[in-house]
Amino acid sequence: MAVYELTLPLSDQDVETLKNGDTVYLTGVIFTSRDMGHLEIKKSLEAGKALPVDFTGSAIFHAGPVVKKIDEDWELIVIGPTTSMRMEPYAEMVGQLGVKAVIGKGGMREGSIKAFKKYKQVYLQAAPGCAVKLAAAVNKVEGGFWLEKGMPEALWVLHAERFGPLAVTMDSHGNSIYQDIKEQALKIIEAL
Amino acid sequence: MGAFTITYEEVYEWIKRSCTHVSEDSLEIMKEALAKEESAGARAMLSAMLENVAMADEQTKPVCQSPGFPTVYIRFGSTEGVELLRKYLPKAMVEATGNGYARPSIVHSLNRSNPGNNSGDGVPNIEYQYIPGQEYIELIVSFKGCGAELGNIYKTMTTAQLGSDLKGLKKLVYETVVNAGGMPCPPSAIGIGIGGQMDVAAKLSREAISTRDWRDENPDPQLKQLEQELLETINKLGVGPAGIGGSTTCLAVKIGMAATHTAICPVAINFHCWVARRFGVRLYRDGRREYLFGKEA
Repeated sequence: MAVYELTLPLSDQDVETLKNGDTVYLTGVIFTSRDMGHLEIKKSLEAGKALPVDFTGSAIFHAGPVVKKIDEDWELIVIGPTTSMRMEPYAEMVGQLGVKAVIGKGGMREGSIKAFKKYKQVYLQAAPGCAVKLAAAVNKVEGGFWLEKGMPEALWVLHAERFGPLAVTMDSHGNSIYQDIKEQALKIIEAL
Repeated sequence: MGAFTITYEEVYEWIKRSCTHVSEDSLEIMKEALAKEESAGARAMLSAMLENVAMADEQTKPVCQSPGFPTVYIRFGSTEGVELLRKYLPKAMVEATGNGYARPSIVHSLNRSNPGNNSGDGVPNIEYQYIPGQEYIELIVSFKGCGAELGNIYKTMTTAQLGSDLKGLKKLVYETVVNAGGMPCPPSAIGIGIGGQMDVAAKLSREAISTRDWRDENPDPQLKQLEQELLETINKLGVGPAGIGGSTTCLAVKIGMAATHTAICPVAINFHCWVARRFGVRLYRDGRREYLFGKEA
């Protein structure tokens, strides 16, 4: 179980090295996107509209921060992971965008396991409910798009330095810790 | 009898405190769990969680980015004083949001538009309960994370489905925990509402996990035994903190029960994230305050 310090954007090779149980710290630009952000990306793609950011090699953090506007700048107060399962219907789309890392909590299911293998992506579990600790690694809010959707749903562009620790829980080789745990637990229940 | 003195400033401080602290009962169980946990990954997660609580405390920041959904329980013996709380609570929530203690997360249910201040029809949800003869007003503010809501289930069971020795009911709970996996921010606490019809079971499930001290014992011996059995077995399923494995899956199981109709047994299972942002106080007419869930402010 290795510890990796990676700089964004990530390559296929960066991702393929990572195995479940490893720990990752990320440095560079991280985008947030959740329910309405994903829906907006989908709508934009269908309408042939350009996206506000380039997702190639990027990390999408399923999160909605608490931010405060001070003059023209945004100050990040706290940020933590939201439940990734809600974004499961977009697995294929996120793969096609060139996203390399999905950060969130709770993991994702079959569609994502397939997409992670096909597009060389990895799922990183952040510590749930640890919004102050995680925010400490974000040194700048570079901007936000789709603010009219509300603070949690906007696409935020964050610059982070050693963001983590993040646990690799769904690798690019078709493995999912969540899947393994579920199968084992259901066996225990059957045996009760 | 003197009048209840309740100021807006005081109510605002309670709301702010709920957002920036985790109640002592949850923390105490988390610390005990960390001492017993054997999985390295689970230990790392639990340590991060406890460290985060300390950081939020020091920096007076919201413990979690998601303020969750606010429900306030007001239990009273006479309506005097209650109107002030009803008036102050929504205003205090909007002010706390403006000051960065809570994220504006409340939206229109259908068009999903966000007013940007955590307000809306029915928010906060206030549950009033009249308790004849009670001389104090009990106020419990509870912000319950909504990732946790995604794992909740409701089922109208039958006598046959309950099974002998409640086997069917227990299996429903275990499967629900496994299906929820890491979604409800485990270690979770679980409220189970049993009885009435659908609406009653659902309300009981939230009330059980939001208003009881997570360290208490159910006064009903059968429910006490069931709560303990469910808790112990859930922690043998291996879901663990964040859903990545370990023996700390659940911090507490609390059951609320009402009678039901002979044809049915309504069951609601309600997850609470480990981040127990809540504040409980009993207000007395002489100005005295008695705090719930352990350590006071």
